[in-house]
Amino acid sequence: MKLFNPCKKKEIPGFHGGFNLLETYPIRFCNVIEKVSSDVAPKQFVFNSPQQKVEQVIVNLCPTEPWALPNWVTLGHDTSSFLDKLASLRAQCFPAARIAIAISEKEGKHITEAIKYAGNTNWMTAHPLNPKYPQNDPVVLSKVVLHAEVEFGTDTTTQGILILDAQTIAAAYESNVLGNKVNSRFIAISGTGLKENEIIRVELGTTIGKLLEGRSKANGAHRVFVNGPLCGREVTDLSQEIDWSVNNIVVLEALNVKVMFPMIKQEEMSFTTNILGEVRQCVYCNFCDDICPMDLEPALYYHSYTRGEGHKARSYNLGKCIECGLCSFICPSKLELLQTIKACKALD
Amino acid sequence: MKKIPQPIERMLDKTFDRMESFVHSHKKVNFLFGALFSAFDGLLRSSKDTAATQPFIRNNYDVKRFMGAVLVALVIGWVFPAIYFYGWQCVISKLIVSFIIGVFVVDVLWAVIAREEHISEGGFVSCLLVPAILPPQAPLWLVGLGAALAIIFRNVLGGVGHNLVNPAIFSRLFLTICFPSFLVMGYQAPFTGMPDLHSLRYGLDAITHATPLTAFKANGEVASFFSLLMGTSGGSLGESCRILLILTGLWLVKLKVVNWRVPLSYLGSVFVFSLFFSLILGKSVAPPIFQLMSGGLILGAFFMATDPVTNAYSQSAKWIVGIGCGFVTVLIRDFTTLSEGVMYSILLMNLLSVPIQSLMVKIRYRS
Repeated sequence: MKLFNPCKKKEIPGFHGGFNLLETYPIRFCNVIEKVSSDVAPKQFVFNSPQQKVEQVIVNLCPTEPWALPNWVTLGHDTSSFLDKLASLRAQCFPAARIAIAISEKEGKHITEAIKYAGNTNWMTAHPLNPKYPQNDPVVLSKVVLHAEVEFGTDTTTQGILILDAQTIAAAYESNVLGNKVNSRFIAISGTGLKENEIIRVELGTTIGKLLEGRSKANGAHRVFVNGPLCGREVTDLSQEIDWSVNNIVVLEALNVKVMFPMIKQEEMSFTTNILGEVRQCVYCNFCDDICPMDLEPALYYHSYTRGEGHKARSYNLGKCIECGLCSFICPSKLELLQTIKACKALD
Repeated sequence: MKKIPQPIERMLDKTFDRMESFVHSHKKVNFLFGALFSAFDGLLRSSKDTAATQPFIRNNYDVKRFMGAVLVALVIGWVFPAIYFYGWQCVISKLIVSFIIGVFVVDVLWAVIAREEHISEGGFVSCLLVPAILPPQAPLWLVGLGAALAIIFRNVLGGVGHNLVNPAIFSRLFLTICFPSFLVMGYQAPFTGMPDLHSLRYGLDAITHATPLTAFKANGEVASFFSLLMGTSGGSLGESCRILLILTGLWLVKLKVVNWRVPLSYLGSVFVFSLFFSLILGKSVAPPIFQLMSGGLILGAFFMATDPVTNAYSQSAKWIVGIGCGFVTVLIRDFTTLSEGVMYSILLMNLLSVPIQSLMVKIRYRS
């Protein structure tokens, strides 16, 4: 089947499909702003090492979404000092674990340093990865890096796999090794609804409304998403507090009006919540199964579901779906494939 | 790209808004022209729908661009060369008749009668294909009838997304059965050489001329490959200039509008099977390269068999459908009295793609 494939470069085994969001939506963060304080006493970050024995730790240094917090904020230009912190954290919290560094292949300097560092130890490996979405999903990450099968929706720590990002490691080092209190974290805010894309150090417990105050554009309808518009959640109540799980906040123009001559305005329209087309019937274009990172055929679920045979979808490997949302994202007929999949999963 | 001045844009936008509210507020107007207005509106303005559920951003690629790419490819692939070979009076008049009857009369009437909400842009592709697969001397009423049949047939089955077989090929089959003389006799010699005003308008004088495949059936004559590639050897209106059809087909493959598996398996299997039969039967059957380059094979393989709606959905089933198309084409060309088999093979495999698809699903997900 792979006789002739002109567009693709060498692929990482076990993962084809996916989509390079970083090239499609280039977002640049320029300034780092120090600390927006909450009015109340900030909450503390606590790092609990899991109950089960940790056999493998995957350090996720491979952000695949352009709006996610970039690595340089935590790592700076000094990878080896970060890895030193990681080593002392390992010695204290999970001494028996092997550590795999999953790092974006675009970051050449960090990779060479990580590989050099890993060469001197017997417990660390470095894996350069292609930063296409959803490479950093827990299921895909453990499949590509460790060749371990993890079921979607289950906690990976039950299988002895702990997945950490750079900032969590830095904070855990501060709190568990050095004994300092950590009560703030970096958050990337970006999107067409904001005046500028910024990285802000926020005290835990600050409300989203306070964070975005004076930063969003005045005109037009905006929608706020936590952890990205692709697989994150929409926030309508801006009095929600920011906790450690918030990595980034994206504010997008809603663009709920008709735009004249959309064909010559594609760039300004692309990063909005408009569906950029009209809802049509499925034309069987195969875009969804080309892009699916888990080798599924989302249109099959859609057709099963619309024919009232949603229970059949489960026999078509529905359980493997990681709900990354790429099928709905790419669909030229603008069908709500992810919603259909969730509905099929809920049927039982 | 050129920018449209702001005031004009705002004025147009306001006019459209006013028209929209007028159409929606008058029940009878909406009944008659609602679909037509929304189709026209959809051409010039984006939709105002926003993503209600996850994911909240969507890719900038919709069915309109999908169909638009096919239209551009077809215009470059067959309309321009056909104007050179047969003159614009022959080609443009057929296109106008096909579009007016197919899209603007039948599709609009259907939208009114069946109370469809929108008019699909897929009709343009079918109506652009109908004249391409008819002979150059086909009368205009035949083209109009073909376009009307194609659109009616597609709409009766439920519109784009539900048609069982390719509407353009289905209408050609219907015309072949009802009016065989027009479809067998109407081939003429194409114009060659430096074009002048007379040739660009009229082409050559209408002299009937055998297509390469019928010439081979009649007296075993094999046309030169260069003339077949360039299209100077005659044939249906749109199938002759194969070099441009191949180039535009490859462009569609690059855009991922056309799935590369289908043309590859179709053309590959035609080559393999015709090589096999000509090794056994010698000169009584057409040689492989001649088979690849003659008839409607290139047009069919790149633009008709690849129609995603009528083809099977699974990637592996697409290989089987393509190989089946090639096998049936070679069988009909080599062993029947018919000279061309592309139309029948695509129709047959369109019908068979449904059971092939369900079989492949069963094989893939057996547990």
